[in-house]
Amino acid sequence: MSTASLGEFTHSEPLTLGVELELQLVSRRDFDLTRGATDLIGSLDYDGRFGEIKLEITESMIEISTQPQASVDGIAADLAGLRDTLREHGQRNNIGICGGGTHPFHRWPDRRICPGERFDVLYQRYGYLAKQFTVFGQHIHIGCTSADEAIWLTQALGVYVPAFIALSASSPFVDGVDSFFQSARLNAVSAFPLSGQCPALADWDAFVEHFNFLQACGIAQGIKDLYWDVRPKPEFGTVEIRVCDTPLGIEQATALAALAQSLSRWLLRTRPPLHTKKQLYVARYNKFQACRYGMAAMISDPVAGCQLPLKDILGELFEQLTPDAEALDCAHWLNTLRPLLDASTGDAAWLRQQHAAHGNLHDVVRQASERLMQAPPRKSWETPR
Amino acid sequence: MIEHLFALPRTLWESLLERLIFLPPFPEQLDSLALFSLLLVVGLLIGEWLHARAGWPKVIGYVLAGTLFGPALLGWISFEALAQARPMADAALGLLMMEVGRRLDLSWLLRNRELLRSTLSDITLSFLLIFLFALAVVGLSPAWAAATAAVTMASAPAVVLLTIEEAKAQGQVTERIILHTAIGSAASFVAFAIVLGVVHAEHSEDWLNAIAHPLWVAFGALLLAAIGSRLALLIGHLLPKRSLAQVFVLIASALLCVGIARMLAVPVFLTLFLMGILLATQDRQQTLRYTELPEGHWLLAIILFVIVGASLPWQDFTWLIGLQAIGLLVVRAAAKTAALAWSGGSLPLRKRLLVGVGIQPLSATAVFMAYEIASLYPEIGRSALALPLFSAAIMELAGPALCRQALRRSGECEGGGEAQGGIA
Repeated sequence: MSTASLGEFTHSEPLTLGVELELQLVSRRDFDLTRGATDLIGSLDYDGRFGEIKLEITESMIEISTQPQASVDGIAADLAGLRDTLREHGQRNNIGICGGGTHPFHRWPDRRICPGERFDVLYQRYGYLAKQFTVFGQHIHIGCTSADEAIWLTQALGVYVPAFIALSASSPFVDGVDSFFQSARLNAVSAFPLSGQCPALADWDAFVEHFNFLQACGIAQGIKDLYWDVRPKPEFGTVEIRVCDTPLGIEQATALAALAQSLSRWLLRTRPPLHTKKQLYVARYNKFQACRYGMAAMISDPVAGCQLPLKDILGELFEQLTPDAEALDCAHWLNTLRPLLDASTGDAAWLRQQHAAHGNLHDVVRQASERLMQAPPRKSWETPR
Repeated sequence: MIEHLFALPRTLWESLLERLIFLPPFPEQLDSLALFSLLLVVGLLIGEWLHARAGWPKVIGYVLAGTLFGPALLGWISFEALAQARPMADAALGLLMMEVGRRLDLSWLLRNRELLRSTLSDITLSFLLIFLFALAVVGLSPAWAAATAAVTMASAPAVVLLTIEEAKAQGQVTERIILHTAIGSAASFVAFAIVLGVVHAEHSEDWLNAIAHPLWVAFGALLLAAIGSRLALLIGHLLPKRSLAQVFVLIASALLCVGIARMLAVPVFLTLFLMGILLATQDRQQTLRYTELPEGHWLLAIILFVIVGASLPWQDFTWLIGLQAIGLLVVRAAAKTAALAWSGGSLPLRKRLLVGVGIQPLSATAVFMAYEIASLYPEIGRSALALPLFSAAIMELAGPALCRQALRRSGECEGGGEAQGGIA
């Protein structure tokens, strides 16, 4: 079976992690998005020790990606190093850097597509959608030992997409107004024709067959054309969770990586039965619920034929994952997510509180930018191991 | 010519006056509002036409309109009309200077030492080389050579701001052009205040003026700026952020400062520039930080540049002074580009040179400063300051184009450097 466009699935150490964060570049004068990615990267004096800092589709975005790490603490150290590097270079160029899934009030027509063949192709293909894609997400890679395992894990993690959305939701404002969503970012992603979920597939061969079918129909040329919520990434030998908003702080981004690692370990260890075909019927509804209501979402269970509060599902999940998190030495990170079960403590709620306190969205971005750049006081478990 | 045109209507009017008792005497001059609207329409038409046909910055069109209809050429805008329109020009320049002051981010200099190096080199080299050129090549006295250097050393804040706004430029070149312009203006104003004393010292036997005048200008402007900014912040604090009411408060406070500065013979451009800086630095609660001037300030900018165009003394033009002005501009350009090239830093050399090109404009502030100094000793000043005035006159036309070109080549204009996708 042809795998020319996909490449061979690279072997990874089991449950290794990698995190990518798309960040906002804002003017320090009015905290609107600014065009500065090329200049910022051009002026970088950085040896790449913590991972990569690279361009994203528009000049107002930047992507950081950690090195592959065996532990969540390794991810935390890399993200802190990347954050500090960006802080220093942002200050030198008078550019603010901010987390959050959307910029609350930027005008998308003002965005500029970054130079580069891939970005140019995307702009030609998707037109204005490419500029509206100035939204900011966190991607989490989990290493898999085999291609078949990756395909199984892709489908198994798909069930937990609403959990990742609700825990990371940090995009309540769009175009200067409160969208009523906790995560409005994914609405921008949904506009792309190949967004959605991985279909029911038995193994890697089935995936290659499915991909070849898409290729023959002229729909997809490479894995990057599949904007799935969770997708295999053969080049890295990982499964990539792509639904999280970029959180407002790197600590929460690290905690989400801990959840992904513990959950993947639990799934691979217990191998619960997959009901992918049934799950696909409710996937979009559940995703909408999580985007719109966050922790207050009601999640449909197509197997039991009922609805359950996401908050309850997550409460149980955290209990279930505790032994795996302890085995992976990341329970201290996972525990930092527990307070988020209270709907008033998440990033979206924090942004709304800032808006209520300041009465304008410029100050909201200013505060969010300060929050991302502030290194929190070290806790005992953060000491080097 | 104008009198000729009005001869018949005047006769008719005066004949009617005897019978229609409610009629006022035949108007001897145009009402301020009517003059304002005429300047606006004429400047706007020429600016828009040049922009649409040749892609030139609109500012050039406004200046050309002023030059064409001003006393030096057609004479449709008389000296009296110019004097009558001066408050409007002061208001326009004041608002633009306040905006430049608000954008002066001194903390950036502390965070990036290369910028400190490049701005200091720009200021020092520009002043020194222009001073030496005026002294040694043109043969001005040290005081007038220093005045020439003080007036022409900085870029033109109003032109730079409007060109950037027109091009909707964003990026490092744009930000550094604004920073250099603002810092250069600050240095130029300091030099201007000192030069006032030097000129008094050279031409007056009474030393009191040499000391008191710079102090009056500097402290007067600072005091007014402090009052204006405090007032704006105090009232602004009571209103919702970014509300229209805040915009009105900001403009009203600025215009109050413009008016009092005019009453007290304190330079408007300096007062409002300082007010802008104080607004930015004293606004710890971000009260007015995000409150922007409305698009309407373009209307005032048109008037400003039409008046600046009309104020240029083209009637005194000689080829010698023209050549000297070109010489000054070459020296000035060399100083600015050399400063940017030498200063090094993380921005690539090409982009630093583009910053050097972008800060070439010389305009309204220089013209107003020159007239301010010249008015101290009109019999000498007018001819002594012909050099900076003609340099400004040339740069009125070339400056906006150079600034625009620098922004375009840096790829920071809206729609620039982007694939042809039809969605700009």
